[in-house]
Amino acid sequence: MKRAFWAAGLALCLIGAACRAKPEPAAAVRTPSPTARPALPTLGFIDESSQGTSMDGGVLRRRLFGEPTTLNAVLQSSAPEAQVLQYVQRNLFDFDARLELVPGLAEGLEISPDGLSYTITLRADAVWEDGRPVTSADAVFTIRKIVDPKIPANVFKPVFESFESVEALDGRRFQVRFSRPYAFRSMAFVLPLLPEHRFAGQNFLKSKQNRAPLANGPYRFVLWKTQESVELERNEKYPGPRGHFDRIVFRIVSDNTTAYRLLLEGELDEDQLDSGLKDRAARDPAFAACCRLLEFYNLDYNYVVLNNRSPLFADPRARRAVTMLLDRASIVRGLYKGSARIISGPWAPDSAAYEARVPPLPFDPAAAARLLDEAGWKDTDGDGVRDRDGRPFAFDLLVSAGSEIGRQIDEMLSAELARVGVTARIRTLEWAAFVEKIDAGDFEAASLAWSAVDPNPDPYFYWHSSQCSPNGLNNGCYASPEADRLMETARLETDPGRRKEVLARLHRLLRDDAPAVFVVNAAQKVALRRRIRGLTTSPLGLYGIWPGPLAWWAEPETGKAP
Amino acid sequence: MTAYILRRLFWAVPTLFGIAVIVFLLLHLAPGSPGAGGADSLRRASGKAAEQMRRQYGLDRPLPEQFAAWIGRVARLDLGESFADHRPVSERILEALPHTLALNGLALFFALALAIPLGVVAGGSPESAFDRASGAVLFAMYSMPTFWAALLLQTLFAVRLRWLPLYGTAADAAPAGLAGLGDRLAHLALPVTCLTYGTLAFVARLVRSGVAEARTADYVIAARARGASRGQALWRHALRNALLPVITLFGLLLPALLSGSVIIERIFAWPGLGRLYLDSILARDYPVILALSLLSAVVTLGATLLSDIAVAAVDPRVRDGAAG
Amino acid sequence: MLLPRRAHLPASARVALAVVVLLWLVAACSPLFTERSRSIRLDERLQPPSLEHPCGTDDLGRDLLARIVTATPISLVIGLVAAAVSLGVGFTVGAAAGYFGGAVDLALSRLIEVMLCFPVLFLLLALAAFLPPSPAMVIAAIGLTSWAGDARFARAEILKMKELDYTRAARAMGASTPRILLRHLLPNALPPLIVSAAFGVGWAILAEASLSFLGVGLPAPAVSWGGILSSSANWIEEAWWIALFPGLALFLTVSAYNLLAEGLRTVTTQGGRNA
Repeated sequence: MKRAFWAAGLALCLIGAACRAKPEPAAAVRTPSPTARPALPTLGFIDESSQGTSMDGGVLRRRLFGEPTTLNAVLQSSAPEAQVLQYVQRNLFDFDARLELVPGLAEGLEISPDGLSYTITLRADAVWEDGRPVTSADAVFTIRKIVDPKIPANVFKPVFESFESVEALDGRRFQVRFSRPYAFRSMAFVLPLLPEHRFAGQNFLKSKQNRAPLANGPYRFVLWKTQESVELERNEKYPGPRGHFDRIVFRIVSDNTTAYRLLLEGELDEDQLDSGLKDRAARDPAFAACCRLLEFYNLDYNYVVLNNRSPLFADPRARRAVTMLLDRASIVRGLYKGSARIISGPWAPDSAAYEARVPPLPFDPAAAARLLDEAGWKDTDGDGVRDRDGRPFAFDLLVSAGSEIGRQIDEMLSAELARVGVTARIRTLEWAAFVEKIDAGDFEAASLAWSAVDPNPDPYFYWHSSQCSPNGLNNGCYASPEADRLMETARLETDPGRRKEVLARLHRLLRDDAPAVFVVNAAQKVALRRRIRGLTTSPLGLYGIWPGPLAWWAEPETGKAP
Repeated sequence: MTAYILRRLFWAVPTLFGIAVIVFLLLHLAPGSPGAGGADSLRRASGKAAEQMRRQYGLDRPLPEQFAAWIGRVARLDLGESFADHRPVSERILEALPHTLALNGLALFFALALAIPLGVVAGGSPESAFDRASGAVLFAMYSMPTFWAALLLQTLFAVRLRWLPLYGTAADAAPAGLAGLGDRLAHLALPVTCLTYGTLAFVARLVRSGVAEARTADYVIAARARGASRGQALWRHALRNALLPVITLFGLLLPALLSGSVIIERIFAWPGLGRLYLDSILARDYPVILALSLLSAVVTLGATLLSDIAVAAVDPRVRDGAAG
Repeated sequence: MLLPRRAHLPASARVALAVVVLLWLVAACSPLFTERSRSIRLDERLQPPSLEHPCGTDDLGRDLLARIVTATPISLVIGLVAAAVSLGVGFTVGAAAGYFGGAVDLALSRLIEVMLCFPVLFLLLALAAFLPPSPAMVIAAIGLTSWAGDARFARAEILKMKELDYTRAARAMGASTPRILLRHLLPNALPPLIVSAAFGVGWAILAEASLSFLGVGLPAPAVSWGGILSSSANWIEEAWWIALFPGLALFLTVSAYNLLAEGLRTVTTQGGRNA
């Protein structure tokens, strides 16, 4: 029924998980890290990994906010898919809670001196659940699928930009070559592998494997009930540390309020709360009795993307006016009770790229009205709506269904715009249709959430003019020669200090050009049943890190029927 | 009688054809098709969806050719492939069907089981206190928006009293055996109630007025004169007369229930056909939209045929009279 | 002839009529509340009903009463016009089928039968989702999907009237077809159709609310009762008033129209007996 706003963002970012940090596996050749480590979150960072003695057994009941569309790791495009697959299939490398790369299926990575050739060695004991070893042939198969133009592997395609070749050196080693260097290239190997032998002779897009993935991770796939649940059980063939839980049940619950109730009833063990539910939880004795609340800042943020190609938003003055009509301070106070921070550019304050010396544009309706006048938008026909060249300043402001915060932001913006003579019609679209419009660049304005799945601040794929939708991830098609130049410089610059300087200039430019309304970085609010232990929070949140949720365990539950 | 059935079947053929035409027109209203309004960008399919539309329906070919190709595939029970998850539409429908059957079957059962006695008792003594009270309640039920009723019932029974689950078909770790059945029934209680009351009010009012009218009809008075008790006269003779319009309308109750199902299944997150239809509308999943529209209309046509034949079997005037 | 002796309108229907008139008055005054309904006050979110906010506030601190009042004209106008469209289409199709008979009747009866086979909400959702959202389109969608019942009814009425003496007499005297339709059949078929129209208004208001509730109605900043109810589901635990009051307004309006329709039916059937 309803879908969480943050969830929408998770998926969006996964679609564009282009840029990943440089892998630094212990066994690999170390090169200087291009990214300064982001500051750890300021609000309640938690590391329980050394607390208590972990126990095995029981069932972990997690929530998916929406139905996965596939469980093919290469085709994944949204958060629910990533959350399930993390248990089932390991990546070559993974981020840990400190956002450093740790080995997964791979145990070694060598980079040629010219930075164009990457040689990866797989672990000798990596094995599929059917007993076959994970081989370099699987890696070659997977990478060839990713770069196949007919395969929509949108999560992985960007980092394989300028891909040249992949070949197996022997059963465990393979080499990937690129034609151009890229400072964040090694992030490409935060990469899952597919079992080549299971896809042989099948239509890749329609294979039965896509609804029943073969495991090489700690859990194996058991069951997928449409619109209800996905179930996993421990994969006894997994050579690494055993998963603590016997089973993992993902329940598909799109409505936040319902999920909250299920949490109290013990039908869910964890849930992300929106700020309304957080307020409720804080007052609810039933919540205090069963659950606890974690709050911490991650790298996620909300924004309203404007289509810079539209005649409405082609002029930066018009875009700046829209930003100045959103009362972000009031959003922080009223909707988030203070646990959110206004942002002035496309990064969260804890991101390495965020320049704190760029203050956000103020909320100033009078100045916004003047900017619109200057841009030529005046109410010439006296109908109460500004117009220019016979076109009224009226547009559809999209929001994905169930995004409560997105709707609230849209309503605030729409009300304020109405006061200065601009009509913004709020249109709710179902998630899939919403994403399709955004990806295709077929919209005028849309409320989105950004959710970082990696700490890389490279803005190239999202704001460079060469990456305009529908073929790229620059959804609103922001195009500025100066910004382009800064981004091109930044992505080749290996010195963190100089890079930071370039990004700071870019940040200032993006604030003033306002290709989108950057709203706030809100603290993530996670509710957990008290029995769940072993948590580690990270700027990427609770999931998407290793071991992350795989290290959770549960104290035996008392008082509740099995 | 056979002649009547054959005649009805014969006339169902053009209706069936009309249903197919309407559904086909629906497809052409759909975004991405050549006829779709271009002024509103949200109505257009963009990118992938537009491509899929062209591929699956051959939208660039002439209309009659498209229609023939589509009808041909439907006749072979090939409903196409869902845009959302690339599974056959029939598979998705079969997955949702049992949930809707359970919900609507129970709703229909309760509606009839409660409405008929209510209607008979109220109609048996018009203007009595019971008739007036039940009339007022039924009228309120008749005018009550289902989604409002659902929200209020949820607030009362799921949020305040916590007697019943808020939504869903079953608890996550549903217990086995009898307890599991109880859990299922608890999940059914609110959605079935919400889906029942509208039909109940409609049928009860119909039965009541039928019985009230038949009360004074000759054959009921004759039955009483032959020594039937008042109850017998009402329940056996008046009711039989009052049930005819109910049977006639039976075919029409089906689409009404399905309409209600869309709203109820959304509120109670019930994974049935109504929810599938709404999700498909919102996700612009045309193959599913078309298949469900077609299916529901064809099933309704079937039910209407059956109820007409049933009425004709009971009432010879029908089969000798109207042309169909 | 049209509505014989107003005094026969039952008391309940007279109350309903008063409520309908009152609702239209509220709708006429609603522009006074537009600014208040738009005023977002995040520090007054989710306030329970009080003197200042008789129906409480919503999740953005807007006054719920002002929003309900602002939504009134949309509901009433869409309901009335959509019912008129539905009646117009239904009456035309039904009357044509009934009057001309033969092949016309066969074809139009098939069409009516086809329309009756679809769950109304299925067609309505498809139309509303596929047409650009404007009041006119919502009206068209409701009007074009719900006329089949009216048509069937009109056909039956005309068939009945055709057999009446005065029609035969008119025809015998050489009256032309349109003349018979307009002068004789229309006035006689009208009273039951007005009843049906009054029920139609209730149904159309409900249909508009359902569309908004399901998220395919008029987009914000337009306010609709169904739309407010739709968002109330998120606040069901902390703010019961968001679900209660807009629903109450909707229920009151639909009931008033339905009661009025019932009353008119009583009057017209009595009138029919008297005539």
